[in-house]
Amino acid sequence: MGLAVFYILAAVILVSALFVVTLRNIFHSALMLIVCFFGVAGLYASLNADFLAAVQVLIYVGAVTILIIFAVMVTHQLSGKKIRQYNDQPVPAGLIIISLFLLFVVSLSKTGFEVVKSISSSPTVEGIGKALMTSYVLPFEVVSIVLLVALIGAIVIARKD
Amino acid sequence: MTVKELKTEEFMVNMGPQHPSTHGVCKLVIKMDGEEIKEITPHVGFLHRSIEKIGENRTYAQFVPYTDRIDYVASMNANHAYVIAAEKLGGVEVPERAEYLRVIMAELNRIASHLVWLATFAIDLGAVTPFLYAFREREMILDLFEMTCGQRLTYNYMCIGGVNWDIPKEFEPKLREFLKIFPSRVDDYEDLLTNNPIFLYRTKNIGILSKETAFEYSVSGPSLRGSGVKWDIRKAESYSIYDRFDFDIPVGYNGDAWDRYRVRMREMRESAKIVQQAIDGLPGGDIQTKVPRTWKPPEGEVFTRIEAPRGEMAYHIVSDGSTKPYRMKIRTASFCNLQVLPIIGINHLIADLVAIFGSLDIILPEVDR
Amino acid sequence: MFELGGIFEAIGKWLNGFLPPVWVTIISAVITGLAVLGFLSLLALFLVWWERKISAHMQQRYGPMRTGWHGVLQTIADGVKLLQKEDLMPKDADRIVYFWAPIICFGAAFMAYLVVPFGKGIIVQDLNIGILYIIAITTFTVVSLLMAGWASNNKWALLGGMRSAAQIISYEVPLSLAIVGAVMLAQTLSMNGIVSAQAGGFWHWYVFREPLGFLVYYIAATAEANRTPFDIPEAEQELVAGFNIEYSGMKFAMFFLAEFVNMFTVSAIAVTLFFGGWQPLFSFLGFIPSWVWFMGKSLVSVFVLMWFRWTYPRIRVDQLMNFAWKFLLPLAFLNIILVGFGIVVFK
Repeated sequence: MGLAVFYILAAVILVSALFVVTLRNIFHSALMLIVCFFGVAGLYASLNADFLAAVQVLIYVGAVTILIIFAVMVTHQLSGKKIRQYNDQPVPAGLIIISLFLLFVVSLSKTGFEVVKSISSSPTVEGIGKALMTSYVLPFEVVSIVLLVALIGAIVIARKD
Repeated sequence: MTVKELKTEEFMVNMGPQHPSTHGVCKLVIKMDGEEIKEITPHVGFLHRSIEKIGENRTYAQFVPYTDRIDYVASMNANHAYVIAAEKLGGVEVPERAEYLRVIMAELNRIASHLVWLATFAIDLGAVTPFLYAFREREMILDLFEMTCGQRLTYNYMCIGGVNWDIPKEFEPKLREFLKIFPSRVDDYEDLLTNNPIFLYRTKNIGILSKETAFEYSVSGPSLRGSGVKWDIRKAESYSIYDRFDFDIPVGYNGDAWDRYRVRMREMRESAKIVQQAIDGLPGGDIQTKVPRTWKPPEGEVFTRIEAPRGEMAYHIVSDGSTKPYRMKIRTASFCNLQVLPIIGINHLIADLVAIFGSLDIILPEVDR
Repeated sequence: MFELGGIFEAIGKWLNGFLPPVWVTIISAVITGLAVLGFLSLLALFLVWWERKISAHMQQRYGPMRTGWHGVLQTIADGVKLLQKEDLMPKDADRIVYFWAPIICFGAAFMAYLVVPFGKGIIVQDLNIGILYIIAITTFTVVSLLMAGWASNNKWALLGGMRSAAQIISYEVPLSLAIVGAVMLAQTLSMNGIVSAQAGGFWHWYVFREPLGFLVYYIAATAEANRTPFDIPEAEQELVAGFNIEYSGMKFAMFFLAEFVNMFTVSAIAVTLFFGGWQPLFSFLGFIPSWVWFMGKSLVSVFVLMWFRWTYPRIRVDQLMNFAWKFLLPLAFLNIILVGFGIVVFK
């Protein structure tokens, strides 16, 4: 049962991810990105990581992709300009992708993964909250500062004088 | 990356001819930058019926029903403008009672017209309920018109030399009842809108029409008075018997949508005051000076203007001594008032354009004639 | 005695008697799904009629009167009419996206009811992350509005879709932060847990613990449900009808019903988080079934939302943004700080 769910979700994620990069219509790509993210959320849910699943949907579907769609709409449909999905540099792109793929293969094959026999079904929210506020409080705060800096940077760039 | 490289694209939108907020068939071609309006081009003419030309092919008396169709929201005032011009051309005396009835009808119609404006203006801003409230009071006025002349929209009430019908005897009590409750009903509308913070946000400092622009584009009526100009033909060039009544001319200060709103709200109260005085002083006697069916005014030309609910309505009639006018030109307020929309509407959002359009109170048949 | 929770348990037990557990899971899922769908459809039909009646009485009209008693069957008649309508699609529309937008819109509205506690023991699935799940799933509403706006190939629809995206993203922030206050007090994200934490009479309701949080939530929720004064995505007088301008027939009906279901959703969440959910006003009133309490409170909240709509003008799009970011957001943070202090002081 669990394995079947995993394979279905994995297939959904892979196919939709493929569509994201191959579809000619950039709006459709963005919608496929939503499907992909939703599939990832499904994976989390099947692993009983309910909090992560909800946050995945909330942040990636609810905020990131919607902003992408928003930008696509403003530039693409409203002004009637077509945004191309491809650029003119297939050779360097191909090289980078191949080297990245090799890197993944090597690193994945060298890592020894810990196998958990059964997934605990206890709520994860409390544990995540405690971990973020105690042992990981420094990275947590650093990340918020980085985000704040990024926010201010974006405002500075886009500000009308 | 510098700020200059971040460029935004402008795009065009057709607002109308079928759009709920253009109050008729008016087409606005809008160039927008995001939601901000950069350019407005009004396209008029969808309702052109060549009424002026029709006027040259009808006898003077036959033309009166056509004036109803120029401004169907205030037909009484449109009637009034024409009959005054024709009477001046032919030197026709109008009986005292007819003058009083004309003023009563014209001012009631001004209230009715302002109520329609209030209803649609509120609905343009998303407040639906005042619409029904305003139409409730307009219904009372329409009942009064109906019992007098049998019509509810295009009255054909005034004729050259007086009015067509006398008021029935149940008219006066009904009118007094209306005048009694009307001020409190205006208070109700003001409770709903005037000091509502959302309404203030939507209308304050929106579509500011400066005095200078208003003069340059010949804006008139409440839209002009909203900019702080105390100009009302009823006082400035008193026609009919308006000099006998005591009333104020409300004016605004900034010329924004809220000022225009305030001016009209107060005008309704002033009009009610005029009607009260007129019905109190209504004399007896004839309602009509007999004018022959084939009436031939002497050769000459005449120009008269009145204060219609939307502004100045003027008639320029040239007579060659025959039964039909040689040339007729009608000046309507909506046409001139619409011209300032591209000036005061730019750099606002599309939601503001709706508010500005509503606050100018434009009737499209009056624009196109 | 009239509690419905027991019935569901009894059905589950009865099925367990002769069927393998997998089948019981599947059958009960289908039954509850259909039950919720049926309930929501009826509810939406009722709410449409109710709104028409309320608006009519506020405007000195009668509203629908002819179909059934005081027009109760009017929405059913309208639904039948919409079913028979030709399903139009603009020539240059994006066919697939155009087709899926209303389905996703209705689906998202429907999915939120997975974790809404209708009464004692009447909840489809009491997820640990209950309230977070609702916030996450409602983002699909935005996606569907954007899809509708894009696929219609109409500039007015596109503007409506963009407005809705901007609005819902902005209001989601104060909304989520307002919810945090209730979560902090209840120490759980589970909807049932939050309800149980408010047991024991109305003075335990969180609206009295954190009125500020409720205020922020209710305003933001009005915006989330696209109701006046925040109904700018479909602003009839500006954008004609916004994102659903090109939709007709059943597809339009789905958007329309989803709007009313969403209105009930935000009311149900407000009741759960701030008004004790299905808990009675006083504990001695416990003989009234819990689902009656829940429905009664939610419908009062829906009534208030309708009251807003028929009283206020519409706010402008930039004022809406300013209001969210410069007023509601600081207020929501203030609420969290106050609740935090409260918890520490009164612990």
